[in-house]
Amino acid sequence: MIPNKKKTVAFKTLGCRLNQYETDALVTDFSEAGYDLVDTNSSPDVVIVNTCTVTNQSDQKSRTVISQAARKTKNAVVVVTGCMANNFKEKLESQENITFVVENSRKSSILALVDAHFSGEILHPDKLPQDVFRYEPVRKSLHTRSAVKIQDGCDNFCTFCIIPMVRGRAVSRPVADVLESVRKTIGNGFKEIVITGVNIGRYQDGESRFEDLLAKILEVPGDFRVRISSLEPDGFGDDFVQLFANPKLMPHLHLCLQSGSEKTLLRMRRMYNVEQFRKTINRFRAVYSDFNFTTDIIVGFPGETDDEFQQTLDAVNEFKFSHIHTFKYSVRKGTRAERLENHIHEKVKNARSLLVRELSVGNKMNYFKSFIGQTENVLIEKITQGIANGYGQHYIPVRFKVSGEMKNTVHSVTLTEIRGTDEEMYLFGEISN
Amino acid sequence: MSLMKPDMKMDESFYKIEEIRHLTGETFSLKLPKARFAFQAGQHISLGIVGGNQSREYSIYSGVNDDHLEVLIKEVEQGYFTPRLRKLRPGNMVEVHGPFGKFGMEPEHAATGKFVFIASGTGIAPFRSIVHTFPEIDYQLIHGVRYSKEAYDRNEYASDRYTLCTSRDKNGDYHGRLTGYLKSCNFAPDTQFDLCGNSEMIFDALEILKRKGFDRDQIHCEVYF
Repeated sequence: MIPNKKKTVAFKTLGCRLNQYETDALVTDFSEAGYDLVDTNSSPDVVIVNTCTVTNQSDQKSRTVISQAARKTKNAVVVVTGCMANNFKEKLESQENITFVVENSRKSSILALVDAHFSGEILHPDKLPQDVFRYEPVRKSLHTRSAVKIQDGCDNFCTFCIIPMVRGRAVSRPVADVLESVRKTIGNGFKEIVITGVNIGRYQDGESRFEDLLAKILEVPGDFRVRISSLEPDGFGDDFVQLFANPKLMPHLHLCLQSGSEKTLLRMRRMYNVEQFRKTINRFRAVYSDFNFTTDIIVGFPGETDDEFQQTLDAVNEFKFSHIHTFKYSVRKGTRAERLENHIHEKVKNARSLLVRELSVGNKMNYFKSFIGQTENVLIEKITQGIANGYGQHYIPVRFKVSGEMKNTVHSVTLTEIRGTDEEMYLFGEISN
Repeated sequence: MSLMKPDMKMDESFYKIEEIRHLTGETFSLKLPKARFAFQAGQHISLGIVGGNQSREYSIYSGVNDDHLEVLIKEVEQGYFTPRLRKLRPGNMVEVHGPFGKFGMEPEHAATGKFVFIASGTGIAPFRSIVHTFPEIDYQLIHGVRYSKEAYDRNEYASDRYTLCTSRDKNGDYHGRLTGYLKSCNFAPDTQFDLCGNSEMIFDALEILKRKGFDRDQIHCEVYF
């Protein structure tokens, strides 16, 4: 009798941190169920593509990854999930190279679906339970830090955004479940957790708001540090600012500005204005002068005039973001912005995008310069040829020489110089502990 | 135990049209059964035609405790959606999702604040919802329209609280654009301003109010496009 060969699974993930977290949780599920994790070149038995649909470019990337994965793994079970699976469900279901299309709300049960398939059961993905928080804490991660999901969905309905349509209305995970997940994640050996969701600033479980939850997470015993993933810049109180005095909470926020123009923000139907954003930044920097802010900017939103774009450049200069994710606006079908007038020509978007990126690189250089001679506590993520890579507490990339296996440990590093250019810029230093 | 909100059943979002009120040749309201969801006065819903594949957002025109959920609609002559809405009759079904949005009035603010509501056209909808919900609220409503016949349900507002600005006829309280009237007004320093309507009116009104020295935090906007 030939013994059953261990099944293999490969994952491809696109898009946001939340998607990455959900993939990591699925990796944990499949590993514990006895599957070996391989890449798509190794003829896996199962390929899971966790897609993104936030921009046209994301759709194209997702389509390419699906096609490549299916082509490389002709006999594999191909599962497509993620936001594109919600946005283009019927179209994807009609593709012969895809075995199953699983919506976001059922993503956490993919292992059950695949197991049923190999057992010869006929189980339609729509029969899987719907639960956006059913994920087990990550054990075997592709990363050093692990996300903890606290929230899903969004009620903001910004005019450019498809996410409320594909992730659904805002729902918050109960406080007790979040804290349990944090404890287990730390117990699994992670030194850094990232609080993640679609719109985490709107977290609300009974009377507990986001800052209340964060305060409780920081009270969990253990040697770990906490980061906050992308955040909408509205609704912060002074309590939130004070929480960053806790050394466990890292002094960095990715606050999504999107535009420095009041008019553009109104057309985007954002929930804040430039003045409120300014107050938030200033409130933080009054207490923590080296606090790191990064952001998202959309250029070429319908109706964005030269003056309005200049206001964005002014804001970028004023707020001194150390990094900017620049997006050229692209139409998402079914959003309000699709029907706005005065869509911007691609050439103009390209030019504006370039200007923002140039400013961003300058800001990054200046921010990094301010750390030369300073010490950062760096969590080592990987070591290549004796050089450790990791992030300091301010979320600045740092490299330094090491000897021996020191991955997933935190070290005090004195920063000596800036190396690399543009997006690849980092600080080099010497270990000082 | 499921950690998700229970799935909304399909039929919970379907509403049968009970009445259509024709307010002008172009503007009408759809009266639906009482909302099956809790909302805050000022919020909006998404409205679709059952069997159709599109929806649009409309501010809720009725008060939180009213017997009907009502929306105010102006037909866009060359539009896709509103001419279809216009053809609906009592008994037809529409699909309603929501509520959405942060624009609105919280009860504790309504009881203590001093408000100026600035609306163009059907942008008056959230303010009617607020006034229905909080009849005692201290407000002034400045409504900008082209013709005086577009003063939707004007008789529901106390005459000393409502100012009609008409740009195409002289039958309003002020002849000209709403923003022209706004420039001539004086407001108490602690006034809260709520603006709703087309984007150009909002951009202009915002600048006028800022030039008058009001803090941006005192000004709240809901843009119609």
